[in-house]
Amino acid sequence: MNVASALGGGIFPELALRLSETVTRLQAARGVSVGCSQKRAVFSLGKTTLYEYLPLAPARAGHLPILICFALVNRPYVLDLQPERSLVRRLLEAGLGVYLIDWGDPDEADRHTDLEDYIEQHLGGCVRHVLGSSSGEALNLLGVCQGGVLSLCYTALHSAHVARLITITTPVDFHTPANLLSRWVRGVDTELLAACGNVPGEVLNGLFLGLMPFRLTQEKYVRLLTGRPEQRAVEDFVRMERWIFDSPPQAGAALAQFVRWFYQENAFVHGTLRIAGERVDLARVQQPLLNLYALDDHIVPPDASAALRRYIGSRDYTEHAIRTGHIGMYVSGVACKEIPRRIVAWLEERR
Amino acid sequence: MESQFSGGEFKPEELYKASAERFFELLKTFAAPSPAAGGAAHDWSQMAGPLATQLEQWLRMSQSAGSWFSAPGAAAAAPGFMGSQWPFGPLPLGPAAVQKPETQRIWELAARFAQLQTQLAAHWGEIARSAAQRFIARAGVPSAPPSLEQTLKLYELWVACAEEAYAATARGEDFSRLQSELANVSAAILVEQRRHAESLAKAFGLPTRNEVDVLYAHVKELSRRLAELAAGSAPPQRPAARAKSAKTAKAARTKGSARKRRGRA
Repeated sequence: MNVASALGGGIFPELALRLSETVTRLQAARGVSVGCSQKRAVFSLGKTTLYEYLPLAPARAGHLPILICFALVNRPYVLDLQPERSLVRRLLEAGLGVYLIDWGDPDEADRHTDLEDYIEQHLGGCVRHVLGSSSGEALNLLGVCQGGVLSLCYTALHSAHVARLITITTPVDFHTPANLLSRWVRGVDTELLAACGNVPGEVLNGLFLGLMPFRLTQEKYVRLLTGRPEQRAVEDFVRMERWIFDSPPQAGAALAQFVRWFYQENAFVHGTLRIAGERVDLARVQQPLLNLYALDDHIVPPDASAALRRYIGSRDYTEHAIRTGHIGMYVSGVACKEIPRRIVAWLEERR
Repeated sequence: MESQFSGGEFKPEELYKASAERFFELLKTFAAPSPAAGGAAHDWSQMAGPLATQLEQWLRMSQSAGSWFSAPGAAAAAPGFMGSQWPFGPLPLGPAAVQKPETQRIWELAARFAQLQTQLAAHWGEIARSAAQRFIARAGVPSAPPSLEQTLKLYELWVACAEEAYAATARGEDFSRLQSELANVSAAILVEQRRHAESLAKAFGLPTRNEVDVLYAHVKELSRRLAELAAGSAPPQRPAARAKSAKTAKAARTKGSARKRRGRA
């Protein structure tokens, strides 16, 4: 049957029926839950909360706790979205102790919170709490995306507190040719941006979706229509939608600094970054380092992450590229299997 | 960007329905009989116009492909621009309520914003035409109207072509400059609006944002010092913090001694 006759005849009503079915399923999935593993808040500072996940397996001997530092611009529950798509759960099942930082929702009282505050007080406070609880001198730090940038800064400044560093989709060289985001914000007046106060999450979300508007705001819905998914698949889709559009506001000062220092000045590469008056030198990152990145990443191009190997001081550097996109690194089937497997094996080798 | 959260309630089906509607429109375009071929076979070149027009319309309407940063005043100043993403609407006071030079500045910024939006819109036409040309070059010439399955493949091809055309323009210097400049003008409008609000607050004897900022800076500094004290000697302090703490401690000791001396006297 061709489309001309389909539209006038049998297939168009068929598509309309699918549309109606899927809309009903989407409506039913509105209240779908996100985040699946049990956790408890153990420390807070301002809007930041540190969670400790409850163990799912006997503790693996000789392993330090893992502290996950997620990006400021998205919610960290994507790392524990649902039982079969959860990096956190896989690590817990491997007997590792897992802590996660949730930066919360900055309000207008937080508009002057800057990167120094986030790195030294918030991330630093979480590190100190975990070290205090585990009576250890160092922990394993896992930084994701922008959280990887913060983790690199922290490690360079407080090397003694980090035993091993794992980075996932973490940009280091912000001026690689494929970095569209960097081109767009290169001319942004960051003083003016900071003067605006907090930036709503929707604004940044629009920016990210605008990088590939047809695929990210059109095609994925059409796939849902033509694929005729079952309720469970629709619920998975809605979980992702909920996460994608559930972006926290950004503290104005921190965002302006991030844009200026990294996207505009490419400070890691040029060695010009200073936090609290101290130079952040990646050569001081001498810990064993596992760097995982995506080959089809439209937000953090692979070259931006792979550049890390050129600037760190570590002699124990491992990297692995996965054939998926930025968000696929958190939720795709292949990444959900491969990333925890690689992390656990890498840690085991360095126990 | 259209946000499912901006309306307050999470409605995952809304974007889906809108996308499905556009998909059906596209299917109709694919299925439309070609006048040149007498309706018997498809001549894709005839579709370049309708496809480009559809795409350009979407680009003009969609914020996801527009400027990412916009203040409420900017939205009001540029008719047709989608609603602001800032959590507050335009100030209810209106330009007439403020001093003339300030009003003038707002209008200048708003005019600049509209001008930049027009420049950005010129790119939409270019992207749409390029996408249609790419599509026609790759779609080949089917001997008969395509089946539904082929049509879905054509849709995939159409999205790929649109994305390629968009990327080619979006990576350009002019487009990138526009994105930054739109953000800057938008931010400047927001800052101007707040300046007006400040002067009005001052006139009514209300605390201004600047005054609150000064108080906040005090609280922040105190919190920082408190955190450093609470952390004790456990973490190695930053040199700057150490210097700051030493200075603070010295100042506190000096003040304390002075008080003691005064007390004794």
